[in-house]
Amino acid sequence: MSKDILVIGGGIAGIQSSLDLAEMGVKVHLVEKLPSIGGKMAQLDKTFPTNDCAI
Amino acid sequence: MLDVGRHPNIDLLAYSEIEKVEGEAGNFKITVRRKARYVEEDKCTGCGACKEKCPTIVPDAFNEGLGERKAIYSWFAQGIPSTHTIDSNYCRQLQGKKCGVCAKTCQAGAINFEQKDRIVELTVGAIIVAAGYDVFDPVKIPEYRYKKIPNVVTAIEFERLLSASGPTAGHLDRPSDRAIEAEIEALEKKAAKSQKLVAKFEEQFNQSSADFYAKFQKGEYKDDEERNKWAEKYKEHLTIVEPLEVMKKKAEGFTAAKRLAFIQCVGSRDFRFYPFCSGYCCMHSIKEAIIAHEHGPDTTSTIFGMDIRAIGKGFEEYKIRGGNHSNISYVRGRVAEIQDGPENNPIVVYEDTKERMVKSQEFDMVILATACAPTKGIYELADKLGIELDAYDFIKTSPLSPVDTSKPGIFVCGCAGAPMDVPESVAQASSAAERAAEVAFEGDVRKEKAVA
Repeated sequence: MSKDILVIGGGIAGIQSSLDLAEMGVKVHLVEKLPSIGGKMAQLDKTFPTNDCAI
Repeated sequence: MLDVGRHPNIDLLAYSEIEKVEGEAGNFKITVRRKARYVEEDKCTGCGACKEKCPTIVPDAFNEGLGERKAIYSWFAQGIPSTHTIDSNYCRQLQGKKCGVCAKTCQAGAINFEQKDRIVELTVGAIIVAAGYDVFDPVKIPEYRYKKIPNVVTAIEFERLLSASGPTAGHLDRPSDRAIEAEIEALEKKAAKSQKLVAKFEEQFNQSSADFYAKFQKGEYKDDEERNKWAEKYKEHLTIVEPLEVMKKKAEGFTAAKRLAFIQCVGSRDFRFYPFCSGYCCMHSIKEAIIAHEHGPDTTSTIFGMDIRAIGKGFEEYKIRGGNHSNISYVRGRVAEIQDGPENNPIVVYEDTKERMVKSQEFDMVILATACAPTKGIYELADKLGIELDAYDFIKTSPLSPVDTSKPGIFVCGCAGAPMDVPESVAQASSAAERAAEVAFEGDVRKEKAVA
């Protein structure tokens, strides 16, 4: 039995899952195929409906 | 993002892919391939000195090919990890040529051309799939002439043009104008070279080239070998300078794009491609139109759609605000065709369903709100994980357990499961995290519990 968790994909969903688990005290392995995490959301300039910066 | 990079409980394996998955809930054996970056992760400080000196220019995928990067690069400026990566498809050294400029520049000694892919074995109790989506390729809709008309772009490309950290530093320069400006730059370099050659002759004979060439054409100096060479070089110089002047004059009239058209449901709600609604595109277009108006207060936007689906907290208000304060008009109708107009202005042909008229209108730029398509890699990944896909190739879930896949211990969140916007992805991500922790720590308690 292992208590570690694997997250596949480092976009906004993968990042949120990883942080939630890490804050719970769980060891997370986050695998991302691109050189940096961020995914599609990092490509966005602002987000609706508040026009906040995406990154 | 930064928090992920420095959280002691997160083991970040970027630039890596899943090779093999074995086992079951509570005990999965995972093989991960850590692809060679040719840069040592523990040494690279992310300073970027290497990419300043790298001689190889490559289209920048992060900017959707609208900008350029070097063969050694960081995915984007604030990327985590900040470790740079060498693109082995373009790097001169890795292609067997002589270079190694980055290795000489790097003060940390992080460049390692001998680096190989590494295999990492993990044992985990549960898996969360957050593999995301791909943007629908509008080339599949020939009547919209994407890639044929330069000023027809996708919403994500437009996003990069709007971004202050994007290829235009946030100026709404049209792709056709940028192409001409790039050509001017290339011709100016050529012209400067040929100007030098011509200047040598001018000095030698103490005469301006224009004067000399006028006389030469009248038949003077025909027997002089040196002057014949001069005439030839000057003629060549003119073939560069003359079109350059024409282009420069044209470029003087270039302004930022002011008249924007947004076309909704490109690939979605279309039975040829995806019958479903992608959900976020209506709001995405309104947001882009509002931001464009913030960049230039005289910008006007027309959003063409069957209906505007502003479903969510504060969304309808956002839509109305866009109409009242950001020069957005909403036209109910489906666009039939985009034609190439004068000055590279796309012409949108559409049916105005309120007036029951077929109309056409000229714009500076057209933005296609593309569908949320399943990501290319999902077939291979689903196969490795042993999970099922649905009819549209998103990961299969059921309405009462929206983050559970067909295999116990494997969960899904975000657009890998279905099209959704950022807030919904975040909510699902927290839900999937909770489900995964539940399985890893207690076994799947959900099975025994009554659901809904």
